[in-house]
Amino acid sequence: MTRGRAPEWLADFQERFGSVITTPLDRTSGTLTARTDRYDPAVGALPGPRAPAEHRLAVYNRQYWFRLFEVLQFSFPLTTRLIGHWKYNALAASFLSANTPKSWDIDRVADGFEGFVARVRPGPELGIDSDAVVEAAYIDAAHRRVFRAPAVLAFRPGARDAEQLLTARLVPSPAMAILHESWPLLELRRTLGATEGEAPLALPPRLAEPRHFALLRHPEGFVTFPLEAREAELFELLLRGRLADALAELEARCSEAERGSLPERAQRWLARSVELGFWIGLETPQQSTQL
Amino acid sequence: MARRGGVALRWSQVVPPTLPRSALGLGLRVVHYDYLFEHWPPLDYLEIISENFLGAAAPPRERLRRARERYPVVLHGVGLNLLGHEPLDEAYLDALCRLADLVDAPFVTDHLCWSAAHGVSHHDLLPTPYVPELVDYAAERASIVQRRLDRPFGIENLSSYVEFEQSTLTEWEFYSRVVKESGAWYLLDVNNVYVSSQNHGFDPASYLDAVDFSRVLQVHLAGFSSEPDGTLVDTHDHPVKDAVHSLYRSAWQRGGPFPTLLEWDARIPPMPVLLAELEKVRQVRA
Repeated sequence: MTRGRAPEWLADFQERFGSVITTPLDRTSGTLTARTDRYDPAVGALPGPRAPAEHRLAVYNRQYWFRLFEVLQFSFPLTTRLIGHWKYNALAASFLSANTPKSWDIDRVADGFEGFVARVRPGPELGIDSDAVVEAAYIDAAHRRVFRAPAVLAFRPGARDAEQLLTARLVPSPAMAILHESWPLLELRRTLGATEGEAPLALPPRLAEPRHFALLRHPEGFVTFPLEAREAELFELLLRGRLADALAELEARCSEAERGSLPERAQRWLARSVELGFWIGLETPQQSTQL
Repeated sequence: MARRGGVALRWSQVVPPTLPRSALGLGLRVVHYDYLFEHWPPLDYLEIISENFLGAAAPPRERLRRARERYPVVLHGVGLNLLGHEPLDEAYLDALCRLADLVDAPFVTDHLCWSAAHGVSHHDLLPTPYVPELVDYAAERASIVQRRLDRPFGIENLSSYVEFEQSTLTEWEFYSRVVKESGAWYLLDVNNVYVSSQNHGFDPASYLDAVDFSRVLQVHLAGFSSEPDGTLVDTHDHPVKDAVHSLYRSAWQRGGPFPTLLEWDARIPPMPVLLAELEKVRQVRA
């Protein structure tokens, strides 16, 4: 904390200047342009040798928005390309107006964007199924979350862990996410680099059945592992609770025909998940109480 | 003074953290890693954007650890908010100190600007009116930052696109007074001096006249773009212009040697092009 106080006028000046640079850009002309008539003249900007005062302020106004659009495009590349840059920037502007950046970490401006997309459900105005856009946003968000995860060590169970496995909770690795797709969006995301342009991409045909994957961060980049539908369900249940509860819940969801093979399959799924590094530890009921 | 509790974490390093005064360095960006780790080009040092490494994400940190094995690394921030009206962000400063310790940075720098106010982060380097009472405020905050870091702290001059009727000092008077009163250092961005001189109609030589070169920690060079109305914008997406090289030569003659760094942040060319740009800088000051 500094001892010195800011001059009285500074907070007022920064509020006025802040309102200038966050003034929404106009889209009616088909390009994003600054609404210089909305700027507060009390900010005290002077004209320069090359441009009038409002044009000089507009440099900051445009930079503010374009910089944030760029961050949101980078954080949600599949969503951006699916609906095209123009529509995406409009969506981003609405999101940013309701969620003004607060952190010095510019990457955090994208926090919660997938939830916003799920509420707004864009797409139909472009002839795109909005479920596909929401799915794309969650796939992008998962990649972003996994990339930003800290370095972790995978859980390697010992003999004592086996004894308490059923009553404990497996702690998921922050560098792992479970993904679902009803369109082949993961493949589309992998090939984005090969396509250029800002127009919406053609949405591939819907899959006959949804597909499920585990996304993991490895030293060489993102890796995805296909999961069976029930396997994905189990892991999502494990993200929320104890192994015993997850298995019981999964069993309840299964048909009679599935139940017979469930123990063997669940054991195989769990063994593979440990081997691949889905988990970073085991939280016993006692530890949970302590937390 | 005690900066904070605990023992500072520091990676074991191969090269010492010191820079020769004539060092030539490059702003490290994500696109550089592949070339860097394959060729280890002859760079005197690297500069990172502090905020890109303050978070917990493992991939940036691992790449930085590898780079630090071969090069000294200095920190350059954009989020300190030195001229913001709100108190300095203590959590941010703590994280910055930890990162500086980790890479054993010879120095840390940020800008003479504000970037957040009233709880909103604008993610830009914003100017203020230049008045004497703001000198005291900025100098005290810069001094606090330098003490917390326990290493030299450099303050960078802005590229600016607007001036304010409330100003009673020139930018260079304001800048030099903040540096002097704070006991911190100049990070003199010669491209920014040139860009602002064209946007505001002053002689860039007057700016250099005001700089105490014995307090210059580092000089930045970069390229700029022009708006349709002729306003120059500090975009870091072009080679350094001839006029900026000339100004740099003038600075070097007045107060060189000083470590010099090339920034290139958008439309980044392949590393050999950047190395050739650095060679141009070497020739300019020969």
